[in-house]
Amino acid sequence: MANLRDIKKRIGSVQSTRQITRTMEMVSTAKIKKAQERIESARPYALAMMELLGNVTRFASGAQHPLLEARETRRRVVAIAITSDRGLAGAFNSNILKLTEEYLRDAKAAGTEVDLITVGKKAAAYFLYRGITPMAQYRDISDKPTFADAKSIANHVIRAYSEAEIDEVVVLFNRFVNVADQSPELYKLLPIAPTVLEDAAERSDVSAECLFEPSAEEVLGVLLPTYVEALIFRALMESAAAEHGARRKAMKSATDNASEMIVTLTRSYNRARQAAITTEISEIIGGAAALED
Amino acid sequence: MARTLLCEIVTPERIVYDAEVQMVIAMTSTGEVGILPLHAPLVTVLTPGELRLKVGEGAADWESFAIAGGYMQVHEDKVIVLADDALAVSQIDRARAMESAERIKARLAELPADATDERSECERDLAWCEMQLRAAEKRR
Repeated sequence: MANLRDIKKRIGSVQSTRQITRTMEMVSTAKIKKAQERIESARPYALAMMELLGNVTRFASGAQHPLLEARETRRRVVAIAITSDRGLAGAFNSNILKLTEEYLRDAKAAGTEVDLITVGKKAAAYFLYRGITPMAQYRDISDKPTFADAKSIANHVIRAYSEAEIDEVVVLFNRFVNVADQSPELYKLLPIAPTVLEDAAERSDVSAECLFEPSAEEVLGVLLPTYVEALIFRALMESAAAEHGARRKAMKSATDNASEMIVTLTRSYNRARQAAITTEISEIIGGAAALED
Repeated sequence: MARTLLCEIVTPERIVYDAEVQMVIAMTSTGEVGILPLHAPLVTVLTPGELRLKVGEGAADWESFAIAGGYMQVHEDKVIVLADDALAVSQIDRARAMESAERIKARLAELPADATDERSECERDLAWCEMQLRAAEKRR
């Protein structure tokens, strides 16, 4: 049986660990709320953007744009992996890294070259360790992504795709399903799926005499890159909210485990104390009996 | 009561403005346009510039915004401005804009000439800072 002082020390350390994980859980809960509000406040823009895209597509049907062009062969592709800057978020980062790793393997098997763009310290650290240098690394933005960050990321891929230097762009990120759930997802960013535009066009309700300046085709030409930026921005924000969700969940189970451990340790502490008392009593009795003789 | 337009200015991060106005004047890629109530449906590309809203009858009843480029849609007396970034001119912080312009210039000077993606990004940010400064200057 372990000695009393050791068990007591152990209980103390588990207790202070529990205090930390409980605090982190509460901090994450507050942060999820803020991140969710940010997603909400981006909704009006996204909705207006889809409406606009629909209206423009309806009047520029059959328009050609490099970002809509699907390439038959994929020689070079870009994967944007969105992780967090901090750990202790359960499988949040490793899910994305695993997904990215799978994508890399599949691409390699098909003879396709892959360039990486990493968001968050975790992805950068992982791939640098594996000897893969990303073409661009973003750090310290995953907590509070701004549209300028999304633009900057988009900037790397839009020009390259338009000039046919790359043939596909995918985003790997954690989708924020709800406060308790996030799911890792691979999203094909480029080429833009034609169904997106068709669906938007179907909902368009502007009358036929709508004016376009300079022309519907040209408006579409500048609108599509902005659409891509908005998609990346959305992914960044979802990932931020999902990160806090994952961390909250991880910290909650850590807190629960610590509580359980404290119960078990306290039990064995009491048992040890009881045993020590019993030994002492029998020693005293034994001693007294020896004196009587 | 005269007929009014509903004007919404939204950026990816928030709604900057949302209210009834009497007239919208915006800089588009083909020149400046003024939108009055009953305007025909219109979709246009905005260049970085000032967007002015007439909110009342008086000569001083104008509100002004710096717009970092975007789109404008006019449809049934509703004007939606989708801006990459937008700031009410009264809220422009000149010192901050000037400071970040300097910082971007310094970064631009350091970048190698072949980093086209980074350069175009810096140039765009710089244009936005200068745009804010110009708009603030005009108001003084």
